[in-house]
Amino acid sequence: MEEFHSGDEVSFSPDEGSNVVKECIEGIIGGVDYSQNKVNQWTASIVQHTLTQLVKQGKPFKYIVNCAVMQKSGAGLHTANSCYWDTTTDGSCTVRWENRTMYCVVSVFAVAIAL
Amino acid sequence: MDEDQSAEEVTDTKIIIAVESTIGNSSYQHSKINQWMSGIVESSLSQLTKLGKPFKYIVTCIILQKNGAGLHTASSCFWDNSTDGSCTVRWENKTIYCIVSVFGLAI
Repeated sequence: MEEFHSGDEVSFSPDEGSNVVKECIEGIIGGVDYSQNKVNQWTASIVQHTLTQLVKQGKPFKYIVNCAVMQKSGAGLHTANSCYWDTTTDGSCTVRWENRTMYCVVSVFAVAIAL
Repeated sequence: MDEDQSAEEVTDTKIIIAVESTIGNSSYQHSKINQWMSGIVESSLSQLTKLGKPFKYIVTCIILQKNGAGLHTASSCFWDNSTDGSCTVRWENKTIYCIVSVFGLAI
């Protein structure tokens, strides 16, 4: 276990978060086409895998990972987030990914734990 | 435990009110989407903060045009199960699906 000094404030790094997310997405749906049978499995794997990687970093944060996968068929999709938190320590990042047949939007929210 | 359960019901109701009052009977219109999305998340968040509880909140909203496309969403959370929670409201009308999720994390 790492020790955290109570005077240090750790804040969430959206860039690091994005990298973790991109690797997870590529690893799970990298070269595949949209498949209705498999999509539930994919979304569950993406969120679980991303969460595991983030928690492994050992930082004092609670995490929420949200993933949406949509078939490319011309429909309009819009998403928005609003957060009521401590802006000095908490943060989020959103990664938009696509291939030929689907869109994938993953959002990570990190909320600092008061030590 | 009873308090937590009724808090979820209260949250559900407040979100439904926020969605209905913003897009109630409207049809999907690309030009109004941004305004609708901001309206829904801001209105939900302000209703929640008015409850005055010691929580940080995250509100997410998805609006999808009804045209046969498949949409799947999943969330995974790493938090304190005894104090933190979430609720998701699915709303639709003839031309729009709207999914609003609220996550509350205890301070």
